[in-house]
Amino acid sequence: MQHVAQLNPAVEAAPAAAVEVRDLGHIYAGRDGPVPALSDISLTVPTGRFVVIVGPSGCGKTSLLMMLAGLRTQTSGTIMIDGRPIATPDPSRVGVVFQEASLFPWLTAVENVEFPLVLKHAPRDERRGRAEAMLNLVGLSGFGGRYPHELSGGMKQRVSIARGLVQDPPVLLMDEPFAALDEQTRMTMGHELLRIWSQTSKTVVFITHSLTEAVYLADEVLVMSARPGRILDRVPIDLPRPRTYKMMATDVFGALRERIWQQIRSTP
Amino acid sequence: MSRAAVILIRIAILAVFLGAWEVLPRAGIVNPMLLPPFSTVLLTLGEILGRADFREAMAVTTAEVLIAFVIAVPLGGAIGVLAAENEYFGAIFKPMLFYVFSIPKSIFLPMFILVFGIGFQQKVAYATFSTIFIVIMSASAAVESVKSDYVLVAQSYGATRAQILRRIYIPSMMPILLETLRISMIFNFTGVMIAEMYASRTGVGHMIANWGENFMLPQLFAGVIVLAVAAMAFNELVRTLEARCSTWRS
Repeated sequence: MQHVAQLNPAVEAAPAAAVEVRDLGHIYAGRDGPVPALSDISLTVPTGRFVVIVGPSGCGKTSLLMMLAGLRTQTSGTIMIDGRPIATPDPSRVGVVFQEASLFPWLTAVENVEFPLVLKHAPRDERRGRAEAMLNLVGLSGFGGRYPHELSGGMKQRVSIARGLVQDPPVLLMDEPFAALDEQTRMTMGHELLRIWSQTSKTVVFITHSLTEAVYLADEVLVMSARPGRILDRVPIDLPRPRTYKMMATDVFGALRERIWQQIRSTP
Repeated sequence: MSRAAVILIRIAILAVFLGAWEVLPRAGIVNPMLLPPFSTVLLTLGEILGRADFREAMAVTTAEVLIAFVIAVPLGGAIGVLAAENEYFGAIFKPMLFYVFSIPKSIFLPMFILVFGIGFQQKVAYATFSTIFIVIMSASAAVESVKSDYVLVAQSYGATRAQILRRIYIPSMMPILLETLRISMIFNFTGVMIAEMYASRTGVGHMIANWGENFMLPQLFAGVIVLAVAAMAFNELVRTLEARCSTWRS
């Protein structure tokens, strides 16, 4: 891989769009014949942007994310991550943060974070140092020796974020990471995520059911329709950064949330 | 209750039990012909442990138990994994395995004697047979206990099949596998004992059956103690391993 990196110096190779999806469609084989799951999806996420996807249950948001991660193959269309297609998972380009309970319970927090590096046979000292640094970044220094069952829901998701970032991928995909948390923890985690995002300047694609969370976090919210999932609306969120909890009470915030809500509500 | 208190109470119960075992026959409250005093049994235990025929019987029984274990566990494990992982194999054989599992294995003992005789092979064959089904069931449950979410996470970080097996399947299954090891040894040991007591020319089970028939109660109890200690020692060994591998379980 080293000589490839030398042929493509970072400055030259860095494409404007971290994620580029063109005319993506997906049909899966259901019990009663083929079922269209996603249709006509095109989206561009410029480097460093925070994009949130919302939509009704079963609209294919998670399928889309799995395809962006190279975990599933689409029926038609193209996906470019960091300027190249992604046919199989490539953790050097994409880190994934899953829904709750995706940590391995038999590994400690720090072992969970270094798991991707273990797969790459990284030397022990290097990966341990890197994992500790990531735990530090997510505000969990000193908790590395704990097992997942000894951590709260919010702390577990911090570990998951650290694991997603440990290989320093330019793109971070997040599949309803805070859905299982209580409201208060969820707000705190959203705020924390924005802090981590601004410190690491990753490109984030984030899926959620919560409209408040979507507006609070995003540069742009993509609203998807019910199956087959299509993109109904692209809502730019022009709220200034850093975001504060106070903004949630403003008319602008309310109007943005209302616009998204009306779109989702109108889908059958 | 503190740990020390629990241990003290346990020791006290054991002391009362052994004390009663000693005192009741000596006082004539229990017929000493049926229950020889504990000290008499201990003396007999020392004596039979020194006897060449008993030690030979122990060697034979140990060999039978170990060989049956070494056959039944990997073989049953492989079949169990296959039943859980291979859709077709599972669909065809799983119900059958469940049916056979429910049958008491001892009713097949006469057939094993007809096929294998009453020697070493028959003990190993019968013990393997009585153990393998529980291993198949447990191994297949162990595979099914692996959460697909964990596999997906590993895949998203580019894990190869071998890495998923080593880093996800093995650690996920380890607690159930160790439990399987422990329980299958109980089945296996029982199988060897039944086979030895039913029809045999050697082995500790055979000697115990003989002592019982000849009303040699001190010897019978001494033999029971030897077997009980051996069974408990194995059980505790695996339990220690289980505890070490399960610190992550809440």
